[in-house]
Amino acid sequence: MAYAYLFKYIIIGDTGVGKSCLLLQFTDKRFQPVHDLTIGVEFGARMITIDGKQIKLQIWDTAGQESFRSITRSYYRGAAGALLVYDITRRDTFNHLTTWLEDARQHSNSNMVIMLIGNKSDLESRREVKKEEGEAFAREHGLIFMETSAKTASNVEEAFINTAKEIYEKIQEGVFDINNEANGIKIGPQHAATNATHTGNQGGQQAGGGCC
Amino acid sequence: MNFLRGVMGGQSAGPQHTEAETIQKLCDRVASSTLLDDRRNAVRALKSLSKKYRLEVGIQAMEHLIHVLQTDRSDSEIIGYALDTLYNIISNDEEEEVDDVEEENSTRPSEDLGSQFTEIFIKQPENITLLLSLLEEFDFHVRWPGVKLLTSLLKHLGPQVQQIILVSPMGVSRLMDLLADSREVIRNDGVLLLQALTRSNGAIQKIVAFENAFERLLDIITEEGNSDGGIVVEDCLLLLQNLLKNNNSNQNFFKEGSYIQRMKPWFEVGDENSGWSAQKVTNLHLMLQLVRVLVSPTNPPGATSSCQKAMFQCGLLQQLCTILMATGVPADILTETINTVSEVIRGCQVNQDYFASVNAPSNPPRPAIVVLLMSMVNERQPFVLRCAVLYCFQCFLYKNQKGQGEIVSTLLPSTIDATGNSVSAGQLLCGGLFSTDSLSNWCAAVALAHALQENATQKEQLLRVQLATSIGNPPVSLLQQCTNILSQGDKINRRGSKIQTRVGLLMLLCTWLSNCPIAVTHFLHNSANVPFLTGQIAENLGEEEQLVQGLCALLLGITIYFNDNSLESYMKEKLKQLIEKRIGKENFIEKLGFISKHDLYSRASQKPQPNFLSPECMIFDHEFTKLVKELEGVITKAIYKSREEDKEEEEVKKTLEQHDSIVTHYKNMIREQDLQLEELKQQISTLKCQNEQLQTAVTQQASQIQQHKDQYNLLKIQLGKETQHQGSHNDGAQMNGIQPEEISRLREEVEELKSNQELLQSQLAEKDSLIESLKSLETSSGMNEQSSEAASIRDSEQIAELKQELETLKSQLNTQSMEINNLQIEKQELLQKAEAFAQSVPVPGDSEKIAAKTTDVEGRLSALLEENKELKNEIKSLSEEKTAIKEQLDSSNSTIAILQNEKNSLELHIKDSKKEQDDLLVLLADQDQKIIAIKKKLKEAGHPDEEEDELIIPVGQDDEFDEDEDDDKNDIEGDIQL
Ligand SMILES: Nc1nc2c(ncn2[C@@H]2O[C@H](COP(=O)(O)OP(=O)(O)O)[C@@H](O)[C@H]2O)c(=O)[nH]1
Ligand SMILES: [Mg+2]
Repeated sequence: MAYAYLFKYIIIGDTGVGKSCLLLQFTDKRFQPVHDLTIGVEFGARMITIDGKQIKLQIWDTAGQESFRSITRSYYRGAAGALLVYDITRRDTFNHLTTWLEDARQHSNSNMVIMLIGNKSDLESRREVKKEEGEAFAREHGLIFMETSAKTASNVEEAFINTAKEIYEKIQEGVFDINNEANGIKIGPQHAATNATHTGNQGGQQAGGGCC
Repeated sequence: MNFLRGVMGGQSAGPQHTEAETIQKLCDRVASSTLLDDRRNAVRALKSLSKKYRLEVGIQAMEHLIHVLQTDRSDSEIIGYALDTLYNIISNDEEEEVDDVEEENSTRPSEDLGSQFTEIFIKQPENITLLLSLLEEFDFHVRWPGVKLLTSLLKHLGPQVQQIILVSPMGVSRLMDLLADSREVIRNDGVLLLQALTRSNGAIQKIVAFENAFERLLDIITEEGNSDGGIVVEDCLLLLQNLLKNNNSNQNFFKEGSYIQRMKPWFEVGDENSGWSAQKVTNLHLMLQLVRVLVSPTNPPGATSSCQKAMFQCGLLQQLCTILMATGVPADILTETINTVSEVIRGCQVNQDYFASVNAPSNPPRPAIVVLLMSMVNERQPFVLRCAVLYCFQCFLYKNQKGQGEIVSTLLPSTIDATGNSVSAGQLLCGGLFSTDSLSNWCAAVALAHALQENATQKEQLLRVQLATSIGNPPVSLLQQCTNILSQGDKINRRGSKIQTRVGLLMLLCTWLSNCPIAVTHFLHNSANVPFLTGQIAENLGEEEQLVQGLCALLLGITIYFNDNSLESYMKEKLKQLIEKRIGKENFIEKLGFISKHDLYSRASQKPQPNFLSPECMIFDHEFTKLVKELEGVITKAIYKSREEDKEEEEVKKTLEQHDSIVTHYKNMIREQDLQLEELKQQISTLKCQNEQLQTAVTQQASQIQQHKDQYNLLKIQLGKETQHQGSHNDGAQMNGIQPEEISRLREEVEELKSNQELLQSQLAEKDSLIESLKSLETSSGMNEQSSEAASIRDSEQIAELKQELETLKSQLNTQSMEINNLQIEKQELLQKAEAFAQSVPVPGDSEKIAAKTTDVEGRLSALLEENKELKNEIKSLSEEKTAIKEQLDSSNSTIAILQNEKNSLELHIKDSKKEQDDLLVLLADQDQKIIAIKKKLKEAGHPDEEEDELIIPVGQDDEFDEDEDDDKNDIEGDIQL
């Protein structure tokens, strides 16, 4: 399907925080209570619309275990966005954020947008990390922040879409070099078409694109 | 190391001793010389020795060479030599060429040599990291040998080297840059390096894909001319296969990246036949395999089906079908294309429907299915091609009830083409089933079985099929004909293995009768069938007959398990007693077990594709192995069960059936709800769209409202200021901000206009009096004819002037009345606004009254403050604001009405003016008459000539007047002459 831009994301964070579930909820709109442990890296994709433009998100869900850390590192450089996830019911996953962030900052391109996610917000009774703490951490490190639930789907769309919006804005500001695919951004056929001729919009090429 | 020393000691005793010394000397120079030139020469010398004295150089020089790589990086020449030397030591490539000439037994140790040296090299994992960093050097003499060396290391000890690269930061990503190298040699060897790197390592495969490998490789393939490209295309395809085979994540990425669409041009091979070079055949073969990797039946079902859909949508399937029907395609490409089409359509209704519609470009056009089946039952076609066609047919029917129905219907009496012009699929299958070629028998039986798979309707339909045998004999049913052949099979002389015919027919019968009590009854109805089966099973035959015995046991078991007891003589219980008496339960079960214990059984159970090492191995069908797995246990149980248990089971079965029907009911319900859900989802998405649009509209409106509010606030602030102002200066006239000024300005204008109008009126009055005086002149003309003459001339001039003046006055009146109109509108608006602002504070109607009102300023001030509060409250609520706006609208409507009235009255005014003008014209006409009368009277009085002369002379005297006022003069003359 034609798209204006393609963004590459990675999802990182300790094992068991719900990374795979977040991806599944976003791509397939379902929740799997018993999910296989991710081995290495798994791929998922979905189309979203921002500012009337079709944007394709390609997402790599990584394994959180230490033994896969070096594999995960290979994905930082080529990603435009990262979702850094912790589990609000497990303080240790919050405590490990600094390590994750250092790793990400060290291996990624400097413009990578990082979204901090406190997942499992549906488990309010078992909460160990206050929302304010997440907010404070995000503020301190210049990240966007959201609490989500892969189970109820609360804020899941928003998390992925807001990250894309941030990247999109950076493109508009000219911060990203969109011609360098190593940044995890690619201009799609749709974009090229609309740039070339304005009437392209009415053309049959995009008819299949649909409205949403 | 010990091993190496052993090899060296054994193989190289005498002559190489001096070489070993030379190598040692060179190594010393490399290690100790302080001059770069010297070291470089020594390394170059080592390089030249490294092919011939691979072992010695390897053992003595490796660590020195690695040291050079670490310390002499600034000199690309010496690095290049060192890498070349290491490559020569580690790679077996050069050796292999020599090996071809030499004895075969030397291959083993030299292969081991490469692995041994690799092991030494990677003992320090940093060496690999070092090599990776050297690959970033752009210099050809460094990068090229570096690529080759790393490839060699990977070939020898893949998993270990892969692991080191995986944990070195950006290791894989750096290697990906090789594909972008402008030097073709490096790019091509880069592809080979990546092949070795990605072999059986899912994690690396994913990283390579993440680094845009698909895009790059597809670009290279396109640049090189797709299948017409050289070995580079082949290498790229092999790398793509490495990345995609058994890697679901990468397959998903490949599909989501819209790369399937890019495969379509690969198969645009056209009919013009630019020739089929060996390379092209290889390339195309790999391309087809790559398609199959994406739609393999062993992939997760969801993954395969989404790829299948994409392949139809982008036209790839259609392209493949063109190759299928093209001429001049090499047989192995054709076979692989058939296999590929098979897997692209398997279990995918849309693709199956499309395939059913494909016609061969023959005259008349025949369905592709028919053309393919002709090959399947043609013994002169290559075996693999016939297997491919069978696979294609199976895939076409897999989960395709519609297709199954269509195939079976070509056998039914009502639809058979009486003209016999076109061959149908059914005819071909029957022909195959009863031909004298056992492979055709087997293929046709299995193909027909697939038309019945999980389809109770077609199992019953097929019972209707009647076959005409020899002339004069009554027709026989297809079912009966199958059992006839089974029992008489030995009498017919067939090509190929007899067992294949019987196995094929038995598999068909088992499939047909399972889950179909009516078919079981039909089968049992022929009293020859059961004795034949029991006879087969009971006999003590050779090993080759064991499979047939097993299949007969299965068939008999099916007639028991799916028996609805509708035949008195062959009720369940009776058949079981028969087994016990004639065969024995144990014996029966043992024979039944022969099937799954057969050598070829497990191979067939693995994959749906009929893939046999040789024609003799064509025994089991994949779907049939599933049936065996399903039935073996239940039949065994059924045989051992007592009558009571049977009855119980019967009841259980009944309730199960009930359950089944309930389940089907719910399934249908779910299906319906699914549809509804889908519809609702679509509705939601459209509603979402609408919602978004509405939301933007709302935000727009909100901002408008905000603007209004702001304006409102601004006015309020101004009002506040002015209130203060007023408080201190007692100036009540300005309390409404701009309005009072405007109102006074308007008032002035109105005054002005009024005075204008008055002026006009007075002018009009003057004119009236003039006319009046003219009248009186006329009455006195009789007394003073001379003077009346002159007066009449003056009169006519005056009348002309008067006319003109009247004209201009009229237009002035018009514009002014329009102005009044506009001003009145403005005034009305302003008044309205003023009213809205100050209900309690009366707008000063007249500036003269202001002075009088200064006394109650304080009172008004407090009123204003209250007003202020009120306004604040108003602002707080949006709805109130809206109603206010509405009210304003209403009042403006009323204003419009007022203005309409105004307009009407103005129109009246204009009418009056017109009337006045008309009156004036009438007056003028009267005047003329009177003048004529005066003229007559003058004539009568006796001055006719004089009168004329005098009338003409003054006119002619003034030349200017004559020219400018010609018309007027003529008019006047005409008037006068009348
Ligand atoms: N209650 C709740 N459980 C969740 C949520 N997200 C994930 N889980 C559970 O947490 C466990 C780990 O999830 P998974 O996605 O495999 O974590 P990953 O290792 O980060 O990929 C699973 O048992 C999920 O069912 C959530 O939002 N709410
Ligand atoms: Mg996971």
